[in-house]
Amino acid sequence: MKRFENKQTGILSSSDLKTPYGKVLYWAFFAILALVALIALIPGIWTIMTAFKDTQEIYSAFGFFPKDMSWGRMVSRVSESWNALQLGDSFINTIVMSLGSLAMHVVVCGFGGYVLSKLKPTGSKFIFVLVVWTMMMPSQIRMVPNYISWLHFPFAGDTDMGVNLLDTFWPMWLGAGADTFAVLLFKNAFDGLSDSYVEAAKLDGCSNYGVFFRIMLPLAMPVIIFQSINVLSGAWSDFFTPLLVLDKNAVVPLKIYRLQADTSVQMNTYFMALVFASIPPFIIFAVFQKQILGGINIGGVKG
Amino acid sequence: MKRRLRLRNNIDAWILMLPMVVILYLFVWRPTVMGTVWSFFNMKAYTVKDFCGLDNYIKVLSHTQFVPMLWNTVQYVLWSLVIGFFPPLFIAIMINEIVHFKGGFRVLIYIPAVIPGIAAMLMWYFMYYPDHTGLLNMILGKFGIEPYQWLNDPNFAILGIIIYSTWKGFAGTMLLYYASLQSVSVEIYEAAIIDGAGPFKRMWHVTRPAMEGLLLLNLVRQIISVFQIMEQPLAMTGGGPNGASTSLSYQLYQYGFNSGGKGTGQAMALGVIIFLILIVFTIFYFWLNRKVEDRY
Repeated sequence: MKRFENKQTGILSSSDLKTPYGKVLYWAFFAILALVALIALIPGIWTIMTAFKDTQEIYSAFGFFPKDMSWGRMVSRVSESWNALQLGDSFINTIVMSLGSLAMHVVVCGFGGYVLSKLKPTGSKFIFVLVVWTMMMPSQIRMVPNYISWLHFPFAGDTDMGVNLLDTFWPMWLGAGADTFAVLLFKNAFDGLSDSYVEAAKLDGCSNYGVFFRIMLPLAMPVIIFQSINVLSGAWSDFFTPLLVLDKNAVVPLKIYRLQADTSVQMNTYFMALVFASIPPFIIFAVFQKQILGGINIGGVKG
Repeated sequence: MKRRLRLRNNIDAWILMLPMVVILYLFVWRPTVMGTVWSFFNMKAYTVKDFCGLDNYIKVLSHTQFVPMLWNTVQYVLWSLVIGFFPPLFIAIMINEIVHFKGGFRVLIYIPAVIPGIAAMLMWYFMYYPDHTGLLNMILGKFGIEPYQWLNDPNFAILGIIIYSTWKGFAGTMLLYYASLQSVSVEIYEAAIIDGAGPFKRMWHVTRPAMEGLLLLNLVRQIISVFQIMEQPLAMTGGGPNGASTSLSYQLYQYGFNSGGKGTGQAMALGVIIFLILIVFTIFYFWLNRKVEDRY
């Protein structure tokens, strides 16, 4: 057990692990974690397994695994379901919506956080207090008024003027910018960068925008990447705003919510839809695993 | 010269900040004020009619289901604390102690958080399915037990939704605790060992004080966020059976978007009521946050 000797001392130390008591405790921890991992995985695995079953099999056999697990069968289930579900348009819609949300989020919250942190113009103190106070306010109070302003953007209330934003992605895009928590997160991230960078660059004749785009933005990249991942995966699971807003241009989360009531879709195909909907977030997770699992340090900041 | 420079800085800064101020004004600050004002007005679908005083509030509060819904919401919060509050902490502590397969556990345990919310809700909806096609009844069936109603049982619906939410959300909180655990210095643990403290004593006297602040903050945050639960009943139970899992926020959604335009005013009144209930916790949160930050 070489690995025990290098163990960092915590609740258990390497000397504890030489005693039977310590060993029992350690392997008990290990067993509990294995159990937790199993609980975390089973619903997903079951969904995948059910997606590969025959419809009759779902209603009669009640087994965990599909009977026929040959490669050819699996491929044909995937293509059958993809053709039956017609999710292609929704996938494109969701990609457009996510990327728009991402751009809006970074521009609005990132710029805002930077100004509140470093430039601090006259009046920024007041804005900062407003941001902090609205951060914890329940969003329910704004739900209906927001819907009303989507109907007559940018006016609130009953007018003939304004643009109707229903069935466009604008409500989601604008909503991605209206994130007070993210503003504070960016502000805290910029707070962590030294002011001397700004001063040095200014002495070299850099403009305010130059400082931001050429120096601060690259330095803040880890936070921006971390937030981008959050926004992208958030957009892939957002179904409530689309439920209020979208009709024809449905996004994937909305589509699978509606499919639940659609009796023409077979059970196994429906489970396959859940699998399809989960693939993009898993790709993001696979690519950015390090940032997601390690980047929480910067996520733990508060107002 | 200096004044001109400051002016220039101010203008540049406000230009960079303008998108944020405009968007927050349009979609956070204005609607918050409007929602409060309009909660005193008669609404016809989404147009404002005339002032009606406390009518909307009276309608909301005198709804025969108001008290049960409030109680449901409190039950959501209580169950989420009973089931979901400590597991992320203990899992974080255990992962911190493990040397075998540590990275693997972190990835596997995080998987529920990766699945898109709505897909996960519907997965669980089918796991709870009341006949033998649902996973849980399938497992019961293997032991020869009759299928259980799960979400169709009014006594279980809320608990079922909270079990799902805990499964979905614990990994995120766990990572937060895990990061904080790593900042507990090794020297203190070693000093505790020299003083003869066993593993559990070390956890109580070294780990606990280091984590207390964060735990308390998360407690308040969890109360605030679970109190607003809406999507889960919407997607998993439709507030049923018989309103047994209807939370205040879900009722607000019903008033606002599923009442044929008759309940819009009530929706905003209910929003204000939820706000008033939560403001107490919010103020407490900020006070606590300041205290915690002073300590570290």
